[in-house]
Amino acid sequence: MSIDLQSALARLCPAPGAPVYQQGTRFLAWEHQAALLLAFARSRELDPGALLDDAGIKLAPLLSPQQLLALLGALQRRLASPDTPFVLGQLSLPGHFGLASHALAQAANLAQALQLLVDHSARLSPLLTPRLLHHQDELILLWTPACGVGAAQRGFVVDMQMSAVTAMCQWLGGEPLPWRYSFNRTRPRDLSQHGVFLGGHLQFDCQVDAMRLPAASLGKTWPRGAALNLAAQALAQGADPPAAGRGLLAALDDYLLPRLPELPGLELAASAFGVSSATFKRHLALHGTHYQSQLDQLRAQVAVYLLQLRGCSNEAAAAQLGFHDRHNFRRSFKRWTGMTPSLLC
Amino acid sequence: MLMAPLRALRSLHSLRLAPVLGLAHFGHLLALLMAALLWTFADLGEAKPWAHIRWMDVAGEGGMVLMAAIWLVQLRSSRPAGRVTSLLCLGLGAMLLGEWIDVLDEVWQLPKAMVWDNWLESALVPLGMLVLTVGLQHWREEQLALNDQLLKRERLFREHRSLDRITQLGDAVYMSTQIELEQRRSRPAALLMLGLQGFDSVAREQGLAEADRLLQAASHLLLLNLRPQDLLCRYAADRFCVLLPGGDAADAAAAAEHLRLALSGLAHHGREGARTQLPGLAAWAVVTAQAPAQQQLLDLAQRLRP
Repeated sequence: MSIDLQSALARLCPAPGAPVYQQGTRFLAWEHQAALLLAFARSRELDPGALLDDAGIKLAPLLSPQQLLALLGALQRRLASPDTPFVLGQLSLPGHFGLASHALAQAANLAQALQLLVDHSARLSPLLTPRLLHHQDELILLWTPACGVGAAQRGFVVDMQMSAVTAMCQWLGGEPLPWRYSFNRTRPRDLSQHGVFLGGHLQFDCQVDAMRLPAASLGKTWPRGAALNLAAQALAQGADPPAAGRGLLAALDDYLLPRLPELPGLELAASAFGVSSATFKRHLALHGTHYQSQLDQLRAQVAVYLLQLRGCSNEAAAAQLGFHDRHNFRRSFKRWTGMTPSLLC
Repeated sequence: MLMAPLRALRSLHSLRLAPVLGLAHFGHLLALLMAALLWTFADLGEAKPWAHIRWMDVAGEGGMVLMAAIWLVQLRSSRPAGRVTSLLCLGLGAMLLGEWIDVLDEVWQLPKAMVWDNWLESALVPLGMLVLTVGLQHWREEQLALNDQLLKRERLFREHRSLDRITQLGDAVYMSTQIELEQRRSRPAALLMLGLQGFDSVAREQGLAEADRLLQAASHLLLLNLRPQDLLCRYAADRFCVLLPGGDAADAAAAAEHLRLALSGLAHHGREGARTQLPGLAAWAVVTAQAPAQQQLLDLAQRLRP
């Protein structure tokens, strides 16, 4: 792997050693996301108690991502309104999620805000892990799985997080930013909500869920920013260690991204997570996936990055992804994405 | 198997049923009358031998009783109390009792000397039908009055799944179907898109409930400023769209400017005392036959972005 690519991919991952959470790990404070959802439900004339019953959740100080998803699902069912993910997203950032939210609300500029979001995603976006990719004069915010979201809810959660970041940047920066959006799903029938809450630059049937922006917007000083961001300083000194947590699938991606050409096997990965391969297999199955599928997904996304953004040839991309020849690469790419590399370019 | 009807019965308790002639327990009263009839037949009549009972008739007439009961519940749970509801329920109730006597008649033989059951049987059902018909006629009149209220909110057809919960207007899907109708008949029409600048900060600063109330106020204001044949829908967030059937560019430009000024003049007073007045935004376009309706709306919404 070229040094250049290696450093680009390594920048997508945090330093190793962050705590790992699974779908069933209870670490989400009740007064954070759940309280926001219930307040939203109440303002839309839904009884919070009935909503909790519907989701099968009992009051407890800590919730798991799985329970948060169940609550979102109940809200989605009961409200059946197309603007729910977008309005919820608008209300959710900077949010009231402790130090991370304080730091975000005082961010000096877009670069700092996005870095805070990425570094403390367990607090700010526990269901989807944001990753920042700098490519030439463009900035790409990728939304990758944290600990798995079912196919039926993925679109909802992606819309919610994209709307959250869009609205937060507009609110803190005082002006809308020229984001462009890519969605890893087919075009919905009605685009009115996307068009108004996000903007007109929408692309569907992509390999990733991502938001792109010219990098020139990054350094512009934000009117609401504070010169001395005490909350961010406290976070940097380790005041809220769980905030840096990674979902199991995100942690696996973090492990695999710098090691792609070597294609580590399941056993090697399991030992890196400190569990036996049988346990690791079981954990992945609980998240609705398996090792090879995660590896293939990641390789497909890196292949798209290499071919489309970096303009690599098939041979070069094949070599970077651990293939011996480009025919094998072509075949695999077709299996992952349903199209040939040449079609993509 | 047994649990399903039981659960259905229990869920009846949570339904709010409209009173009939002021009687909240109309259903219980009917059940009581049915029980009284049952007791009378069992007491005075002579049970027919098993072999003489025509089961097809029992099933048919019993089915009618059951259906009438279901219609009563559906009617009372979906309509407000009032004259129309009372008439419809009385009609259905009379039909139900008439059919019930029919069923009982199949099982018990009353002495020949008794004629009241024949009278009831042949009088209740036609009487019920008559009352029901009068009720339906009143319902029609009521609906015409309601249609007047819904003017500018819907046209040509109704689609309750496309109704926005906050403003009670049609949504973007309803609007695009309406545009497609105009396109198919190749009639001229114009589109407006309206919005409030800075609306997204209202929810952050004053809460979502206040933002929703502002939307309701804006929708009322827009409705008041439209012609009877125009259609107002909520597109998304604070964006409203208007279809002007038969409108050309000049009409659209004038209407857009007028509505923009109206929105700019709207001062909304929140429950906490905050006064919100936001500049209105407006864009217009003439409906073209080529582009899909959804795309035309999306393009128009993009022109409203700062």
